[in-house]
Amino acid sequence: MWKQPLVTDFFKKYRWDYVMAVVAVGISKIIQVQIPNIIGNLINQFRLGITVRLIQHYAGELAVVSIGYVLLFGLGQFTVGKLARIFEAHLRQRLFSHWELLEVQYFQKHTVGDLLSHVLNDVPTVRQAMAGGISQILQAAFLFLATLAMTVTKINWILTAASLIPLLLIPVVVVRIGPKIRRQSRLVQEALSEMSDLAEESLQSIRLIKSTANEPIETQRFTRKTDLIYDRSMDLVRLNTTFQALIPLLTGISFAIALVFGGELTLTHKISLGAFVAFTVYLSMLVRPLMQFGNVINIFQNSSASLSRIETLLKAKPQITDPASPQSMPSFPSVTIQDLTFKYPHSTKPALQHITLKIPAGSTLGIVGHTGAGKTTLCSLLLRELDPDPGAIFIGGVDIRDLSRADLRDHVAYVPQEGFLFSFPVGDNIGFPLTDSNPALVTEAAHKARILTTIQNMPRGFATIVGERGINLSGGQRQRVAIARALVKIDAKILILDDSLSAVDSGTESSILAALQELRQKNQTTTIIISHRLSSLRDVDHILVLEDGMMAEYGTPKDLLSRLGGLYSHLYHIQTQGGAHLG
Amino acid sequence: MAKTSGNPLRELMIYAKPYRILFVGIIGLVVIYNLTQVIQPYLVKVAIDRYLLVHQAHLGPIAEIGIAYLMITLIGLVANLFQTRLVAFAGQKIVREIRIELFTHIESLSMKYFETHDTGRLLTNVSSDTTRISQFFTQFLLSVIRDGLTIVLVMGAMLILNWKLGLMATIVVPIIVVISVVFRPHLRQSYNTTRSRLSRLIGFVAENLTGMRVVQVFHQEQKQLHAFNNLNYPYQDASITEYKWDILFNRSFDLLGNLAVAFVAWLGGLAVMHHAIQLGVLYAFISYIQQFFSPINSLTQNWNTLQSSMISAERVNNVLATPPALSDPQYPIDPDPIGPGAIAFEHVIFHYDPAQPVLQNISFSVKPGQFIGIAGETGAGKSTLISLLGRFYDVVEGRIQVDGVDIREMRQSDLHRLIAVVQQEVHLYSGTIADNIRLFRNDVTMEQIEGAAVATGADTFIRNLPNGYNTWLTPRGSNLSAGQRQLLAFARTVVLNPKILVLDEATANIDAVTEMAVQAGLVKIAANRTTIVIAHRLSTIRYADCIYVMHDGQIVERGNHDQLMGLHGRYSEMIQKASITNQSEQLA
Repeated sequence: MWKQPLVTDFFKKYRWDYVMAVVAVGISKIIQVQIPNIIGNLINQFRLGITVRLIQHYAGELAVVSIGYVLLFGLGQFTVGKLARIFEAHLRQRLFSHWELLEVQYFQKHTVGDLLSHVLNDVPTVRQAMAGGISQILQAAFLFLATLAMTVTKINWILTAASLIPLLLIPVVVVRIGPKIRRQSRLVQEALSEMSDLAEESLQSIRLIKSTANEPIETQRFTRKTDLIYDRSMDLVRLNTTFQALIPLLTGISFAIALVFGGELTLTHKISLGAFVAFTVYLSMLVRPLMQFGNVINIFQNSSASLSRIETLLKAKPQITDPASPQSMPSFPSVTIQDLTFKYPHSTKPALQHITLKIPAGSTLGIVGHTGAGKTTLCSLLLRELDPDPGAIFIGGVDIRDLSRADLRDHVAYVPQEGFLFSFPVGDNIGFPLTDSNPALVTEAAHKARILTTIQNMPRGFATIVGERGINLSGGQRQRVAIARALVKIDAKILILDDSLSAVDSGTESSILAALQELRQKNQTTTIIISHRLSSLRDVDHILVLEDGMMAEYGTPKDLLSRLGGLYSHLYHIQTQGGAHLG
Repeated sequence: MAKTSGNPLRELMIYAKPYRILFVGIIGLVVIYNLTQVIQPYLVKVAIDRYLLVHQAHLGPIAEIGIAYLMITLIGLVANLFQTRLVAFAGQKIVREIRIELFTHIESLSMKYFETHDTGRLLTNVSSDTTRISQFFTQFLLSVIRDGLTIVLVMGAMLILNWKLGLMATIVVPIIVVISVVFRPHLRQSYNTTRSRLSRLIGFVAENLTGMRVVQVFHQEQKQLHAFNNLNYPYQDASITEYKWDILFNRSFDLLGNLAVAFVAWLGGLAVMHHAIQLGVLYAFISYIQQFFSPINSLTQNWNTLQSSMISAERVNNVLATPPALSDPQYPIDPDPIGPGAIAFEHVIFHYDPAQPVLQNISFSVKPGQFIGIAGETGAGKSTLISLLGRFYDVVEGRIQVDGVDIREMRQSDLHRLIAVVQQEVHLYSGTIADNIRLFRNDVTMEQIEGAAVATGADTFIRNLPNGYNTWLTPRGSNLSAGQRQLLAFARTVVLNPKILVLDEATANIDAVTEMAVQAGLVKIAANRTTIVIAHRLSTIRYADCIYVMHDGQIVERGNHDQLMGLHGRYSEMIQKASITNQSEQLA
């Protein structure tokens, strides 16, 4: 992972901070390993002849060394950790601004959950390598080498080698069991969230459950999830306890070797008693760095996988590009579609075929068709979320591909089918397309969308929070806010309503349509209305009936109604006369 | 806290009762483990004082001590291994029971409870509160026993070796406690700040990923990036602050540990010099003094666990203490499962608050097999009527009978088997299409499922799905249209086979062709059943045997379509107002 430019650039930028951290940690560890040696010297001094002054000297030395070690080590550790957090924030920003560049199709291919897991899991994993990983490898390397140097030079290399053998298995154990524990705890987490999901679903359909007397079945399903949690947690406990037992076991063996072998060396006067005592302390100091070596290997393995996932993500290129020298948006845009055929990259059948029509500036087109007939695809093409072939769509005589997307979108007001709202206040939702807040415009737009009174009656007016995806509002209110959001763009030249009146009651619908009509006459706005409900299309100049991506019917409403057997007149009759006979 | 201590704790202990013998065993194992930990430094002390300081060389005893050391280590490890596993076993079993009990109880609560309580809150109760309760058993209890014992044993060992030096060494204990107590709130607060900033950041990213299309279509990428960074950098700062406190705390402990060693070296050194203690005792003291740190730290940490478990326990107890509002009668009448299906409302009055009547003196009767429509504006009381029939609420006055039996004299589960309600919003489960039709009931066969789907016309679209009946659905499954969901709900109803069918008609977003299929399905399931339809589009009930028009909680008009049109009252007004009429005038 250290060769990725994302990381190397960061290291280069903060190289002096890193150098400082390495030096601080290095010196701190060299100081730390003096502690057992001082204790050993003190103990030896008892046999050589002790004085109060000497005791004070050694105790003072211990105190000074401790303070020096803690200060330097703390400084080094903090620096590394802080830099890693800065890197993390930087990485998150890179991800977010990259996502803003990618188009709709990318977000259809990847679920929000998947994308979010990059921010939630991959970025922190990389952070962990940059903070914990670097910090631990520094500590471990310096402490291990310094301790070895002390035991080999000041005590006895054979004793060191013999006692070290069992300890060397520690990193192996960590590398072997560590990832298993990680995997297992993820399984436990998954089981927990499966249980939560099931409980959430059950609570949401509590009415259904009660009205079908299905409670025992739900309890059974819930119990199965809790059993899964139990089984997986116990497996995790088994792994954990094994791991927690193996490390002290290895340490214990090593300590016993030191006791017997070191004892013998002391008895035969090959080493001093002080050296023996110091050695036992050193031995306990070696356990941590050895565990850390194992940890670091695990951390780096995880994070290099995470980092490469992030790299892949950042490599995803936007499919649609702006022209090198874009033309500017015409002031009175008619929309001309010239034998438009569009096929999604991975599909076999075209979504739209041979569409040809013209919407003069200031006129209105209504579009009718089943789900999947190609209505929304047409919207996406007009917003250039999808790229039509050259020469297929013209805005005021300019090929849509010769416009910059920013310019095009600044002049199109769009009301999406799902009417997505942000969780911020309703006023900010309406004012979303504006660069600066403008309460007057927002109020006016709310009025045009017939939502002003509703908002004014809310406890906090325009400051009312609409909740996640507008959950605090009714379906009809959401749609009207989404319409107001589009209408706030007063200089929009094209207005597109993608089935955005379905949840609005008929009275309000007519009122909104009348407001749109007025707007059209004043601003010469070209309007496209897509709807299932034919009542929404009462004022349109032309109607396009789409069927399987093809123009099934096209003409004025009157024309289409007179075509007996046509889809439009068929739908018209269903919706006016009602369907089935009951009873 | 004062309010919650005591009671919730006792409630928690009730769950532990079946495992009390196990807990005694666990305590035994903890004692063994802790003893081994205290004996280890003592063995080294013996080696130093008895064998290494004397001048004749004897390797034998040293080897024996080495073996003893290894044995002690092994015994300690095994004791620790089993103790941890047993604690986890008991904790997991307990939390499993609490979860199931809680879930079963929540299911039994009244509809009113769900309408007045946030279900998100209940969900937290089921998932995170129970997890925190389990930490009480797996972490807090264990820590109190293990860490408390460690401190006592280490202190005891020091006092036995040399009580004067031992007493002086215990000075570090209050210092450790003070440091822990001083740092803990900072650690906790900085942790909480970081968490809440992170969750706001994640919420923002999730929302913007979902609404990326809106951001792009309105060309607001810059604005949103700016908003993102207004969350991103404060999170970074909080995270650095958290890390800073973490390091300050850990390094303070580190420093204190080393200074304590220096302190013992000084005091102990003087004692050795004056022959008050042996050299090995000094070694043992140096080892022991370091053993104080981690148990005290873990105890203070677990104090927080205790607090959060108690808060969680209190919340869970509150839910468990809520009684199911409607109880079954003591001697319920068994309704006839294949009886005719007559309904009678007699002078029914209902309100939540006497000042605001919801239903006033509603009386009507439905003959078996009839098709009834209920019309009226939003808030007229149509849905309440249905809730009363399903006994989600009890009437305030009057009574409701099904086949001559007051519904309050039946078991609720029996009543619900008689009546099926198809709601406006069709709930889907995460599961296959087949699971969704049979509602996970194992006694429903695949033939029954397919039969129901064929009967209601759902079979056609199901077979067109990539995996047919095994297609996986999700609750917010955008993979099915509103009409298809309706058809699934109809198939469900056929499987349930109720005598009485109540249909809260779906309004929006069904395209016309699917609507025809839905209407056809409706005819199928309504056949041979008493059917009540709450109509939003009046076209659906045009052919009803009788239509009741509701206004302000009263039935204001009744009769079939033609009769009501003849009245020139509210019904005919509603028909005229309907958008369809509007449109036909426009286009005609």
